[in-house]
Amino acid sequence: MDQHIKKIYVPMTETGFYILLCLREPNHGYGIVQMVKEMTEGAIILTPGTMYGSLSKMEKDQLITFIREENKRKIYQITPLGEEVLAIEAKRIERLYRNMKERF
Amino acid sequence: MKQTKKQFKYFSLAQYKQEQDYLQKMHRNGWKLTHISCLSVYHFEKCTPEDVVYQLDFQTEVMDQSEYIQMFQDCGWEYLLDCVGYSYFRKPVAEMDGPEEIFCDDESRLDMMRRIYKKRMVPLIIMFFCCIVPQLLRTIANAKESSLDRSLSILFVVAFMLYIVSFVTFGIQFFQYKRGIKRG
Repeated sequence: MDQHIKKIYVPMTETGFYILLCLREPNHGYGIVQMVKEMTEGAIILTPGTMYGSLSKMEKDQLITFIREENKRKIYQITPLGEEVLAIEAKRIERLYRNMKERF
Repeated sequence: MKQTKKQFKYFSLAQYKQEQDYLQKMHRNGWKLTHISCLSVYHFEKCTPEDVVYQLDFQTEVMDQSEYIQMFQDCGWEYLLDCVGYSYFRKPVAEMDGPEEIFCDDESRLDMMRRIYKKRMVPLIIMFFCCIVPQLLRTIANAKESSLDRSLSILFVVAFMLYIVSFVTFGIQFFQYKRGIKRG
């Protein structure tokens, strides 16, 4: 993996992580907002400025790819590179969680 | 006949926060923004006073404007207008669950400042060092002999000040977010 990708996405923001997680199934920006709201019982409400900026950045870095447009909404999906980054992050968060459980 | 009013207000490049606050205050006083002309003339229309949050976004890679606006509309933000790279949105506080902005983390706020820096600040800095500063020095040096240069030098002093204000406010905001990220 590219050093540039590692530097930006490892570790990544909570927003970035949720976007990649949701895009394992094709979805559009607002769809992700709704999914995350449901998953976190309303604790995390992603906002359009952050969402639009993150999607553009991730598409440019080829972590996600544009599939098609539906009613003026762009539908994206994760790429193999995105999956790779997500797996690294998942491992990091798992470790974090394990250590937290042991000591807290 | 709708009651309207115009107001001249200058905000430097990075003072979008102050601009948002100004527009929110106007709406609270019963004046909603309709459009902006000549970069700094704000046009308002009389309305019922309401607490409405105004937000400015700066995106540089919008390929499809309607898709961009759609995402904001889906999230309840009304699109107003575009002005020198900024897009203006608003949303009534009554429709929010808590305090809401179009950005939800400091990383994306910083990303927006990076975009402003790349697209707008770098050309300004080049202008500043290649035009404003040399012209200011030249007119000041000639001010004693030439009355034209004397008046021009005042103009360049004003430009110089405005530039410095832009740079400083931009720098302060940038480092505030950066500190915020480190703390978090």
